[in-house]
Amino acid sequence: MSLLKQNITLFGENIPWLDGLREKARAVFEKNGLPNKKTEAWKYSFFKEDALGLPLVDDTPHECDGHCHESENLPFESLPIKYCNGRLTHIAHDLPRGVMIIPLFEAIENGEIKPYLNKSFALEDFPFAALNTALLDEGAFVVITKEFAAEKPIYLHYHQHDGMNRLCNIRNIIVVEKGARATMIEHFDGEADAQYFDNIVNEIYVGTDGALTHYKRMNEAGRAHHIALNSVQVKAGGNYTSFVVHGECALARTESLVRLLQQGAAAEVNGVYRLAQNGVSDITTNIRHLAPHTNSNQLVKGVLDGAAKGVFQGQIHIAPDAQQTTGHQLHRALVLSDEAEVDCKPELEIFADDVKCSHGASSGDLDVEQLFYLQSRGIPLEEAQKILIEAYLNEVFAKIEDETVAAWIKSNIFLS
Amino acid sequence: MTQKLLEIKELYAGVADGGKEIVKGLNLTINAGEIHAIMGPNGAGKSTLSYVLTGKSDYAVTSGEMQFCGQDLNALKPEERAALGLFLSMQAPVEIPGVSTQAFLKYAVNAVRKYNHLPELDAAEFLKLLRGKAKEFEVSADMLKREINVGFSGGEKKRLEILQLSLLQPKLAILDEADSGLDIDALKIVSQGVNQWHNADNGLLIITHHLDLLKQIKPDFVHIYADGRIITTGDMTLAEELEKNGYKNYVEMSK
Repeated sequence: MSLLKQNITLFGENIPWLDGLREKARAVFEKNGLPNKKTEAWKYSFFKEDALGLPLVDDTPHECDGHCHESENLPFESLPIKYCNGRLTHIAHDLPRGVMIIPLFEAIENGEIKPYLNKSFALEDFPFAALNTALLDEGAFVVITKEFAAEKPIYLHYHQHDGMNRLCNIRNIIVVEKGARATMIEHFDGEADAQYFDNIVNEIYVGTDGALTHYKRMNEAGRAHHIALNSVQVKAGGNYTSFVVHGECALARTESLVRLLQQGAAAEVNGVYRLAQNGVSDITTNIRHLAPHTNSNQLVKGVLDGAAKGVFQGQIHIAPDAQQTTGHQLHRALVLSDEAEVDCKPELEIFADDVKCSHGASSGDLDVEQLFYLQSRGIPLEEAQKILIEAYLNEVFAKIEDETVAAWIKSNIFLS
Repeated sequence: MTQKLLEIKELYAGVADGGKEIVKGLNLTINAGEIHAIMGPNGAGKSTLSYVLTGKSDYAVTSGEMQFCGQDLNALKPEERAALGLFLSMQAPVEIPGVSTQAFLKYAVNAVRKYNHLPELDAAEFLKLLRGKAKEFEVSADMLKREINVGFSGGEKKRLEILQLSLLQPKLAILDEADSGLDIDALKIVSQGVNQWHNADNGLLIITHHLDLLKQIKPDFVHIYADGRIITTGDMTLAEELEKNGYKNYVEMSK
């Protein structure tokens, strides 16, 4: 497994528990290897290791002269956490009371991370999260103290530039304590010709009556691979709301594993993807209702053109005692060319009998009557198509409450 | 000399890709300042004719000519025909969820202006234009905010069509069953809007079944259309006679 053959020194190799965890993860990754076409969870979006072009972990400290973030012009105020070429380069100063953000290594050194690190998923189920764990070295630990509300969003910016093909394993642990509230915004971007592999794992813990809104805007470089696992646990009355936007890149997979652990826990996982070249977008969800009175909702819509491929795999699992539960899921795609492909796999596992569940999927082309109506008013065909595509996706964008954030996320895929 | 707006000669057209022939040897000339009405039984292909003229891709011309303001219509895309000044008010205007009516009207007005090398209107200029016209046709601010035609009543849809006619100021307007689904008040708004727009430089082609609209918008010519072509042409008295005796005799003539 050449991905593991990295001639590097990782942080904290002398810390026995950490070393043990890495060893275990290494063994799992070596045993199972990369997923292939026979791996059920990956059958639509597996790839060969060659496709990555031998990415290397860069363990040298990043000398960021700031140019990487110069172009940034956010329309909202935030508490930034910045990664450049896979290295943590900046954490917001002057954090408000109730918000703690420290580098992962600090949290490992002082042991604070122990109750959370690799506690929300099984290594065997997530090959790339196993890789991420085997090479665990970089990340951030964020805690919103109980009953505090972080007013400014926590903004995680992952920027990639220059010619080195890097393997970037980043682990963020976000803990929203009892009654606390926060918004996190992840933003991935890379310079046009950069090639790299972002392998991200976020472990998210939402406490009793806590709430986290999680936005992700992904516009990696065209040749980049991007795999992310959001492993989320929600306690009683807690709320996790997420919104993923995938733009163009070689392959992007965002997988959300959400466990609704206790009564009244709720999750919403929404997403939009728009690809027009030959990339792959994979949005995979697994919402696990493990207690009564838990609710989930998913709405994912995509637009595909060129030779692009869109994948949606949505699993809703309802445990035997999770009565009075609702779980809804809808995936729709517009397929604008003959070469484009959409694969959709809904999976409902329902072991309780007093539940309301639904799933739906559809794919189709733009409506010719609508196109003609716009054209017959003088609007050129291409513009008419743009208008209808935006209208199609607006149903999902309308779910973003903050209009400024909504407009900023939308601009990712509507570059008009 | 009168300006020819539309000149159709021996036009044959039908469903695209070699489908059924629907327009079969049509001849029709409309000059600036004229109002023409086409009446005919159901299934005569009247709506198809409006789609052939405006370039809907479901239909194709097999032979013949159609010139609009001196240009070969068949060589132009639907949006080019519209921008040159050909307007179709559809029998059943299409609903478009997710697009606000006001945003759509601005797209349309500016697309036509751009094609004709006029500066596009900015938000304030457009709003000023729109507000004046919307008031005239009793199109409320609420309607303009709503998605295009979604949840509109029959009357609201037709009023929105006439608002577009007034905003886009075409050279030739085709009104396909503009009176369908309208009560007396809505019919009045529609016909007043059309009469106000009509002048010596533009032309109108009304496709209808009913005399009601023609009593409000007085046509110079009434054509009876059956089996894909004009069977006979007269004036308003022909329409009145039709109301009494029906199409039966004329349909016989077409055979």
